Amino acid sequence: MTEAELRELAGKQAALGEVRGAPGPDPVNAPMIRHWLAAMGDTNPAYLDKGLAPPAMAQVWTMQAPRQGRSPVDDPMAALDGAGYTGVVATNCEQTYHRYARVGERLTPATRFTDLAGPKQTALGVGYFATWNVTWYGDGDEPVAEMLFRVLKFRPRQGAGEERPPYPLQPAVNQDTAFFWEGAKSGELRIQTCADCGRLRHPPGPLCTRCRSSHLTYTVASGHGTLYSYVVHHHPPVPGRETPFVVGVVELPEGVRVVGNVVGCPPGEVEIGMALRVAYRPMDDRLVLPMWIPEEP
Amino acid sequence: MRTLTADEVEAGAELPELSVELTPTVVVSAALATMDLTPVHHDTERARAQGSKDIFLNILTTMGLVQRYVTDWAGPEAVIKGIDVRLGVPAYAGDRLTFTGTVVSREGGRVTVEVRGKVSLGSHAGGTVTLTLPPAG
Amino acid sequence: MNQKERVLSRTSAAIAGIGATEFSKRSGRSELRLAAEAVLSALDDAGLSPGDVDGLVTFTQDANQEIAVARETGIGELTYFSRVDYGGGAACGTVAHAAMAVATGMARTVVCYRAFNERSGRRFGQPNARTGGDPTSQGLEMSWHVPFGLMTPAAWVAMFAQRYLHVHGASSEDFGRVAVAMRRHAATNPAAWFHQRPITLEEHQASRWIVEPLHLLDCCQESDGAVALVVTGAEHARDLRRSPAYITAAAQGAGADQMMMTSYYRDDMTGLPEMSVVARQLWEQSGLTPRDITTAILYDHFTPFVLTQLEELGFCGRGEAPEFVKDGGIGLDGRLPVNPHGGQLGEAYIHGMNGIAEAVRQIRGTAANQLAGVTNVLVTAGTGVPTSGLILSAAVSR
Repeated sequence: MTEAELRELAGKQAALGEVRGAPGPDPVNAPMIRHWLAAMGDTNPAYLDKGLAPPAMAQVWTMQAPRQGRSPVDDPMAALDGAGYTGVVATNCEQTYHRYARVGERLTPATRFTDLAGPKQTALGVGYFATWNVTWYGDGDEPVAEMLFRVLKFRPRQGAGEERPPYPLQPAVNQDTAFFWEGAKSGELRIQTCADCGRLRHPPGPLCTRCRSSHLTYTVASGHGTLYSYVVHHHPPVPGRETPFVVGVVELPEGVRVVGNVVGCPPGEVEIGMALRVAYRPMDDRLVLPMWIPEEP
Repeated sequence: MRTLTADEVEAGAELPELSVELTPTVVVSAALATMDLTPVHHDTERARAQGSKDIFLNILTTMGLVQRYVTDWAGPEAVIKGIDVRLGVPAYAGDRLTFTGTVVSREGGRVTVEVRGKVSLGSHAGGTVTLTLPPAG
Repeated sequence: MNQKERVLSRTSAAIAGIGATEFSKRSGRSELRLAAEAVLSALDDAGLSPGDVDGLVTFTQDANQEIAVARETGIGELTYFSRVDYGGGAACGTVAHAAMAVATGMARTVVCYRAFNERSGRRFGQPNARTGGDPTSQGLEMSWHVPFGLMTPAAWVAMFAQRYLHVHGASSEDFGRVAVAMRRHAATNPAAWFHQRPITLEEHQASRWIVEPLHLLDCCQESDGAVALVVTGAEHARDLRRSPAYITAAAQGAGADQMMMTSYYRDDMTGLPEMSVVARQLWEQSGLTPRDITTAILYDHFTPFVLTQLEELGFCGRGEAPEFVKDGGIGLDGRLPVNPHGGQLGEAYIHGMNGIAEAVRQIRGTAANQLAGVTNVLVTAGTGVPTSGLILSAAVSR
């Protein structure tokens, strides 16, 4: 999706105005208030004494409300993901309390998509700031609380990190292998290919393993693969890594195998035969490693 | 517990510091108390699989702690009118979240407090809380 | 014994002496001193003096130069010196090189040695960020794996082990039974680090993960120590103090598309093609078959590859090793007793050289867990790497 298309979508969503969600599954109630106060370490007696909810609980009452249709926020978020702005970090949360919610009343949220600003250069990478507002209505249909919420959807940096320490596990690279590591930096999984006979080969070397030609180029792999084998590393500690971590041998439809980390799912859910797709992870300012995440079903 | 009255508060006054040890129990129980079942707030393995160092505080808890920090100081009769927070670095389990605060203005009974919540990685949350205090008497 | 009928090239050399230091976790001595002690001990065992030695062979990885060992021990001039590469894959290869030197006349008596403080000094099991390092062919090979944190021997082997479990429907307990057998053997070997310390399968299963699917007790120990072996001509060996262990077959092997520990790009990941190369030569050179082997010393740095070796060497079919082991096949009273000394899991990790010494003891009849009627002993070296193997015999083969 282009910048213009993103802007158009954001405008369309904002034009929807306020979209009501389902009411909270439970009315404002003392047990949940007591539980919340205990978890926060808040000993203020006023709430339970007066039958009022702590104001910062506003959102709590509708957290587990059933999904009712699409929120106006869903489509812009999906579009940003699709455009490569896969990173997300909340930047602002501004709540205004018109009054404290009363025990026994049921809150209903309503969401309005208000703004999409960008693309902007940020410390995390290029991204868009998306803003929406939620209003919680009480039993009398008057607003009890309002929230402005803003997130930065950013394109994770590849290579140029912010004061990142150098990753300790650097590959040795020479003229036979540099194309692979350059490819990873530009988001390509490059498989050495013989320019004469077309043979694909990984790991690469100076000569074609079939015809011994030194006229070598590369094919950009589809990025899909199947897990052929894997390990879960627990011990000893490895520099630059948090344990446990998973390393797999991935079989590509192009007919070669590649080793890489399997990420984005708990080690216990990794299994031989699972469908994977490549993802690129910058390790420091110089190195990007191709890793593998579970293919969406 | 006593509530401050408006005349007792002047711009420039410092709030007493509050330091919260973010044990896994605190992070998990607060996530559950705020009905936030996102795995990164209670499942270490999942949090790490997504590239985080550990489980970390959810935003609803951050808001709750900011509210508590101010009412601990102001007292039970204070009424919170709004909390505006800029979110910073994650507050991971095992870290410590320390709040400091300064009164920035008072107009009648309406007081604005600037709150800063810091963890070892830097600013976790910073912003302002607006509240009303009862008049003297 | 009809010596006239033997094929000269097959048994022109023998192991005439073995020597070792104690096996420990902290020798408190320099590696060169350990090497010298083991060499002198092996010469004493053979009834030879340092002046009788004219050749030395060790591992590429050994930190002690041949000339340094010669200086310390009083071995004078050397006419042959050689090193064998690829980690523990070198073990039997040192004897093969020595036997070739003796057979060709380049040397008359060659000592093979390996000495290290592998536990108190540099530990092979610890990650070394320099493993990728320089763009040598090995550095480049490692660079497809090390950046992903795949950089310890246990992890490299675990990748094969996971595939083996998947393809053959085996379980971690199948690996565990290997460890249990090795520790049972070590329990009655006074020279073993784990003397009188057997383990149960439950303890194996309860031991912590190192790299899934390998538990701690799937991994061999780390040791300080040294072993030396004296190789000389068969005729000469017969005149010495001990009965010779004849070198009936000696072979090295690398497979097609071989890598160091990470041959993940070959068609199949459940076998050890390099061990198949070694096995083929051992059987061809010796004229023997698996049935002729009384006991096997199989390299056991990690349990899974003991199973694979049983299959590659022809002691059982593909995928049948778990059943073979489950039936007690590798116990002291099994179909093929494996590592009566307790192997590297039980006795010590001296890069496979202590296993060759055990083979010699079994042939002499002097082992702690001595088997009856030992005629031929098969020995292997490091697995997952270019490797080597031996068949040692009590009598010259025909």
